[in-house]
Amino acid sequence: MKCPICGREAVTDFCHYHTEAKENVLAAYPLWVKAYGNMEWKDFLDNVKRNPQTGQWVKEIAEILKESD
Amino acid sequence: MNGGYTLVICEKPDAARRVSEALSGGEFRSEQMEGTTVFRFNRMGEEFVACAAQGHLYGVSDPARERTVYPIFDVEWYSSDLVEDNTNAARRILAIRKLASGASKFVNACDFDVEGETIGYNLLRYACVGKEKSALRATFSTLTQEDLVRAFDDLKPQAGLGLARAGRTRHAIDFVWGVNLSRALSQSALGSGHRYRTVSIGRVQGPTLAFLVDREREIRMFIPIPYWKASGTFEKDGIGFTAGYTKDRIETRHSAEKIKEECLGREAVTTSVNRNVVQVGPPAPFNIGDLQKETYRTFGYTPTRTLQIAEKLYLGALISYPRTGSQRLPPSINYGGIIRGLARIPEYCAHAAELLKGEPKPVQGTKSDAAHPAIHPTGEKPKRPLDASEAGVFDLVVRRFLAAFGPSARKELAVATLAVGEHEFRLAGGRTVFPGWMRYYGRYAGHRDVKFPSVSEGDRFRVAGVALEEKFEQRPPRYNQSTLLEKMEREGMGTKATRADIIATLVGRGYASGENMEVTGLGLSVVETMAEYAPSIISTELTREIEGKLEVVENGGEGGTELLRETVRSIVGQLADLSAHEEAVGREIDSALTASVAKSFVLGKCPVCKTGDLRIIRSKTTKKRFVGCSNYSRGCRASAPLLQKGTLRAAPKPCEYCSWPVVYVAGGRRPWRLCVNPNCPGRRKP
Repeated sequence: MKCPICGREAVTDFCHYHTEAKENVLAAYPLWVKAYGNMEWKDFLDNVKRNPQTGQWVKEIAEILKESD
Repeated sequence: MNGGYTLVICEKPDAARRVSEALSGGEFRSEQMEGTTVFRFNRMGEEFVACAAQGHLYGVSDPARERTVYPIFDVEWYSSDLVEDNTNAARRILAIRKLASGASKFVNACDFDVEGETIGYNLLRYACVGKEKSALRATFSTLTQEDLVRAFDDLKPQAGLGLARAGRTRHAIDFVWGVNLSRALSQSALGSGHRYRTVSIGRVQGPTLAFLVDREREIRMFIPIPYWKASGTFEKDGIGFTAGYTKDRIETRHSAEKIKEECLGREAVTTSVNRNVVQVGPPAPFNIGDLQKETYRTFGYTPTRTLQIAEKLYLGALISYPRTGSQRLPPSINYGGIIRGLARIPEYCAHAAELLKGEPKPVQGTKSDAAHPAIHPTGEKPKRPLDASEAGVFDLVVRRFLAAFGPSARKELAVATLAVGEHEFRLAGGRTVFPGWMRYYGRYAGHRDVKFPSVSEGDRFRVAGVALEEKFEQRPPRYNQSTLLEKMEREGMGTKATRADIIATLVGRGYASGENMEVTGLGLSVVETMAEYAPSIISTELTREIEGKLEVVENGGEGGTELLRETVRSIVGQLADLSAHEEAVGREIDSALTASVAKSFVLGKCPVCKTGDLRIIRSKTTKKRFVGCSNYSRGCRASAPLLQKGTLRAAPKPCEYCSWPVVYVAGGRRPWRLCVNPNCPGRRKP
């Protein structure tokens, strides 16, 4: 199976890069919630996508996660 | 042969001219031989002929020289015209061979380092037929008359044979390494159906690319975490200043707002004021790595460009030999003489005069190099107008040299702490109280004073404002050519002479692009594939170990042949790893190559349909190239003719007048910019 984002071999639903990026996103969410007091999952994904510091693979997975929600 | 002349072999034609000029006192004549210039002169009743190589005239290759054949372990030295179709090399070798037949004495006057020694050794061995051991060595670090005369008065027998042995071993190892692994990779991609394209990997290139890829992964995987910073504005009797909250990072918005609420409008008490004067010593003299980093910082020049400029200045006898690892200036370079020379150049006259009042003694760095001192000016005035880049690098070298003799600068640093209840703010400032060496280093010193208001312990201020700033963690920066060079140096990858070329190769092979060395899909795929199937190819440890052993050979130790054997054993193992997974390796490299080739044809978004890509297409009937839209089959007819000559590269931004892509055209004297739209209104602008 291929990664739907980049076409590399998939190790889960995604390739190993996007799988790791997804894990990073999931791990970062509670930190953002703590920092802002509260934050909806979708708002978090929007903010992550818009942030110029966010890495390309994280942005790509954030987009997919937002669509699939 | 008795009664013949002394044949002097230099590394470059400009060096041969300077040697002839210096040794003959200007009484030399040039003549053409096989289309190359040689110089004849007399010195103390002896006849001399000076000739020059132009880089390596001999290179390592395999007897078959067939790009699809590997493994290759049987390597030989061949003249460069056979290895890389270099007709200039063939002419030079022929001229040197003819000159050698009439010579009775031979002097190797190539640059005194591994590469120079290898160039001279090979010419003496092959073109002059077996003169590599009997030839004498002229060693010098500048091309000034004084230095050259001294070097020829003190010719040494076999001074650099260790360097030559190390150089030849390095060339052989790098060839065997590069040719086998690159051919294995290229062949595996070919087996996957792609047309032949060189996929190169080298002994130092592999680990260096891995540095870039590691950083690229961190960047692409990065997710910023928010935090806050606070600063307060403090006022009293019309005096106001801003001080930062002592805790640099406030983790939550709630905590930040609480600080604001608890401080705003309250009274702050100055609990401490500390002032102290620190001494800042001058920077160490330049070695090549430091010069490359400093020119990148100050002028934005790549390491390769800096090296080229520095070599021009060296050949003009304006600076010493630049490929040095030393940060030390020995007294033998004659400090006073150089400074007196610089005093004759108006820009440096005042500083030089100041230094000459005392006994000049420079600061020394920690790194040394047995062959050459740190890069320094020779004290000679430029005899021709320097172009802007040469003038810039020359000025930098001169000022760094002068700064090395300057006294330490003194800076006063002041820090005050202001307490507002349980919260603390810190005010910091600094000013230069004595510039010392910074005056000599001029604008390159980059010091800036930060004003510190008049504050004493116990002073009270009103907190007029508290500003909260939402911040995000910053992702790690990409390497640029300068920081990558620094990383290679730190990790012991390559040598001072090869690092810049390796970085240029990574760009040339399409593994990294842009000023900030962004890794391409191909670069990522090559490292990924190696990491999975033959990890030692990108291993830093293995490369570092080989470098260490080469250094031993360089310093006169034995072991070159054993090292070559060890390398061959290591390569056999790596080739076996690659061969066991040839199909998978081929598939991965092939898919990255396909994506990279497709990407190189895309110039940018189509401004007509807004969704397609404008690409370079070659007409099947006329074989001419033109620009067309990828949405042609969906009806978009955007197209434009293209120049049929030159290499095209898409510019990062579209045309400011019409939004069509802009390309850089290379092939003439210098690349130029062109909007591909033939009707672009910008083309009609004067």
